[in-house]
Amino acid sequence: MTASQSQPQPASNPTAAESDEQRYERLLAEASTIRGVSLWQDAWRRLRRNWMAIGSLALLIAMALTVLLTPALPLQSPILTDLDHRQFEPPNTRPARLDLRQRLAEFESDVRPLREQLRTASGAELTELRKQLSARYAVEHPFQKLWHKPDWLSRQLLTLRVALFGDWCIPSLCGTDQLGRDMLARICWGGRVSLVVGIVATLVSLVIGVSYGATAGYLGGLADSLMMRIVDVLYSVPFIFVVIFLITILGQGDIKAWLDRHGINQITIFYFVIGAIYWLTMSRVVRGQVISLKNEQFVEAARTIGASSRRIIFRHLIPNVMGVVIVYLTLTIPAVMMFEAFLSFLGLGVSPPDVSWGLLVNDGIQVITRVRIYWWLVLFPGLTLALTLFALNFLGDGLRDALDPKMKNR
Amino acid sequence: MPLLVFLLKRLGWMLLTLWVVYTVSFFLMRSVPGGPFDSEKQIPEPIRRNIEARYRFDRPLIEQYGRHLWDTLHLDFGPSYKLEDYTVNEILAEGFPVSASLGIFALTFALTLGMTAGVVSAVRRQSVFDFSFMALATLGVAVPNFVLASLSVVLFVFVLGWLPAAGWGSLQQIVLPALCLAAPFAGYIARLTRTGMLEVLNQDYIRTAYAKGLSQRRVVLRHALRGAVLPVVSYLGPATAGILTGSLVLERIFFLPGMGSHFIEAALQRDYTLAMGTVLVYTLLLFTMNTLVDLAYCIVDPRVRLEQQA
Amino acid sequence: MKAPPMAEPLLSVENLQVQFRTDDGLVEAVRDVSFQLAAGQTLGIVGESGSGKSVTNLAVMGLVPQPPGRIVGGQVRYRGRDLLRLSQRELSRIRGNRIAMIFQDPMTALNPFLTVAEQMTEVTERHLGHSYRQALARSVELLERVGIPAAAERIHDYPHQFSGGMRQRVMIAMALLCQPEILIADEPTTALDVTIQAQILELLKQLQREEGTAIILISHDLGVVASLCQSVLVMYGGKVVERAESETLFANPRHPYTLGLLRSIPRWDGRSEQRLMAIPGQPPNLARLPSGCSFHPRCPYVLERCRRECPPLEPSGHGGDKACFVDVDTVHDTVPTREVSP
Repeated sequence: MTASQSQPQPASNPTAAESDEQRYERLLAEASTIRGVSLWQDAWRRLRRNWMAIGSLALLIAMALTVLLTPALPLQSPILTDLDHRQFEPPNTRPARLDLRQRLAEFESDVRPLREQLRTASGAELTELRKQLSARYAVEHPFQKLWHKPDWLSRQLLTLRVALFGDWCIPSLCGTDQLGRDMLARICWGGRVSLVVGIVATLVSLVIGVSYGATAGYLGGLADSLMMRIVDVLYSVPFIFVVIFLITILGQGDIKAWLDRHGINQITIFYFVIGAIYWLTMSRVVRGQVISLKNEQFVEAARTIGASSRRIIFRHLIPNVMGVVIVYLTLTIPAVMMFEAFLSFLGLGVSPPDVSWGLLVNDGIQVITRVRIYWWLVLFPGLTLALTLFALNFLGDGLRDALDPKMKNR
Repeated sequence: MPLLVFLLKRLGWMLLTLWVVYTVSFFLMRSVPGGPFDSEKQIPEPIRRNIEARYRFDRPLIEQYGRHLWDTLHLDFGPSYKLEDYTVNEILAEGFPVSASLGIFALTFALTLGMTAGVVSAVRRQSVFDFSFMALATLGVAVPNFVLASLSVVLFVFVLGWLPAAGWGSLQQIVLPALCLAAPFAGYIARLTRTGMLEVLNQDYIRTAYAKGLSQRRVVLRHALRGAVLPVVSYLGPATAGILTGSLVLERIFFLPGMGSHFIEAALQRDYTLAMGTVLVYTLLLFTMNTLVDLAYCIVDPRVRLEQQA
Repeated sequence: MKAPPMAEPLLSVENLQVQFRTDDGLVEAVRDVSFQLAAGQTLGIVGESGSGKSVTNLAVMGLVPQPPGRIVGGQVRYRGRDLLRLSQRELSRIRGNRIAMIFQDPMTALNPFLTVAEQMTEVTERHLGHSYRQALARSVELLERVGIPAAAERIHDYPHQFSGGMRQRVMIAMALLCQPEILIADEPTTALDVTIQAQILELLKQLQREEGTAIILISHDLGVVASLCQSVLVMYGGKVVERAESETLFANPRHPYTLGLLRSIPRWDGRSEQRLMAIPGQPPNLARLPSGCSFHPRCPYVLERCRRECPPLEPSGHGGDKACFVDVDTVHDTVPTREVSP
């Protein structure tokens, strides 16, 4: 289809006088001038024309970068409360203070005696002192106090931030909440949770869905019908309720303590539980693709010209299934993010001091009263969430249009 | 006859599904460590006695399971674990009408608004209507319903004062929650209808209909609409599931005394009997709706046979 | 039948021009096409796909999708009225009533969601003001005419319950409900099995004899046209390249393209020494038509002039019209067309 456009008109009229040899040579030359456009190039070309999708893509990339680099940005602390002066501050540009350098210096002078002892100590005393020092680092270090349990990478980025921006930080452009915490910082840190949940849970659903669907489609016959029956039955289960049920049980004191001991926190459970519900549609889609591709003529054709199974799988099946999977992925991420927000909103998802967008919206709604409406507490997190979902939806639609061969040339 | 076979088969699958959900819930409940229920600290004495009488904790697990299943089969979900003097049945009976009317209203709104917008957008393609409807639809799909609901509470109740804030009973009180609940589904249905309509309008048989001298109105409504709503019909199953889910949030925001509120309460309070009863009722609802959708599909598309749907 | 005065033809298409806006640019699908159709006459329009033959007839019916299509110029006069100037409402009174159309693929041209009865009765209900009962009776009558057994029962079936040939019969019956003066048949047999093709053609012939309906038969198949039509129009690249009575055309083609078409038909009449010829090259890309005569890149008799100028449609001197600078007789045997490679 696409090749015909670049096909040259025959330069001269072929005549019957031409010998076979010449003719084949000419055909060969003609064929080599026709450049096939690969599925991906073709899709990219289509996508580029769809400015909504490209705009969404740009927005999402910007958002992902912001969220990724959040610790290195000169934001205020997302968990530092100030009940005396900064409750419910509307959006403003007043300079804010974090005194990071001073805090760091104070902490350093606090632990200096310990360090000096450490230098001279030895044996059992040494290990004891080391333990003490790391305990103080884990509790008293400003990074630990101003940010909730930053991981190693975040700590490095925070150090970078101090080096880059020093004490300066962005004013409360989005206002502050009922505990005087900076909204902008909370939105950025909440974005980390929301986006990571979205991506990880989607990947979990991808792994389950693709392997299940591909297996069913590949095996076919009885196994296929049995596996799809199971999916049908699962479709009729209102999973949200089961999930909430499950989360409640897993949140039970004893179980939670047990899980915490094994380093599994609520968010990790989240990834898997959400991923475990969203694989159903993915498995159906992939199975459908695999089955239709199995019987597709070009696969037959590849087989008849002697292509190996490996080649068929890698050159034909995977690229073709990939399109559908990618489209479905971009549409699953917003669904998953929405679900996370939904659960957090109900108080069943991410729990404080972790933040996510859903949680922020819920916090905002909780403090709405007839008397005073702290609009910025609902508007900004709500808008961020909606904008992200909006962009993901547009990108997903754009990708579907670009990748779906059925929609081609429309 | 095929209808009877179809319904019987579906009934069988439904019982199987309910049994799976039931069993999973039952053992999840029992897997809470430190004994089934006595890990909880402050259970009022009468409830504890009720529960112990009911669950026969002295018996082996499998017997408990069997007896409990037997009771559940008789639609007796037992006493509530948290609310004194209430059985789960009573709570469900109270909450069901609220949730059902909210759901039905929402589904109706979603269908009427979505399909109208979709048809108009497709027929007047590239017009102002098309663009604005589709922008609205995408907005509806992308904005989480709790954000929408909260903002509309602020706007319509607090700022404009048009509608009563919360509570249950009058028609006014159901409109706003139902609309907020319907919004994402209306948006999705609008987009499905539009795509379906555009596809159908390109079909040969639409050209035939015009060639017969029919008016555009008749062509669209009689010849094109049926084919265009097929994707909408298949979406009704997932939509129902979504509306059930969404009602959890909406009931909470608008303080509606529906099953959703009870369920969330039950989940937060660890009222396992109530939670289990609600899950079973929701499963039943969803399954019934899916069956109805499949039946509807056969009615709309004569090429689809009931036997294939079973 | 109600015959119009001899002077005025029933339908006359004059200088019709239709364009389509596509991703590749402006496509001139129909360029300056004119023809006339007298009452009761059968006219065949022949050409490759993309030659503009279907679009011409969709324009007559007012069915060119706009956008992307646009009728740039010309007239379609039916009984003294220019159909192109009528509103959709006025046009819809003529469509399906005085001018009816049947389409190529009976599998997709019937609405799969409605029974045959529902699809047929609405025609006479609309145009003749029939009640449902009358409309149903008329529909059953027509179905019987076109040879559908047990029509009174089968009319309540859905299209997918009929075979391909039967569906085309339903289409024909539906088109004839209001006894139209003109029936446009767009490749009515292309999608059918060969045996069914013959039956459908026979049916059209018989109906034409009995009803006196004028028929425009569109086909890429010269054989089909030859068996049914009195006169023939050959189209290429959106233009009419030759026009003649069928006997004249088949006996003495004057345009190289027609000649090529005739030579590419397998013949079974024993003249096996004549090899099968194919027209070399591809049908033209309508978005980028060659300069001059659009057939020149594929023409075996091409002159320098053909590359620059577009030949007008003029009397060929052999009882028809042609749009070609070359007299094929003079060059006929000197430059052979290419043989089909085995």
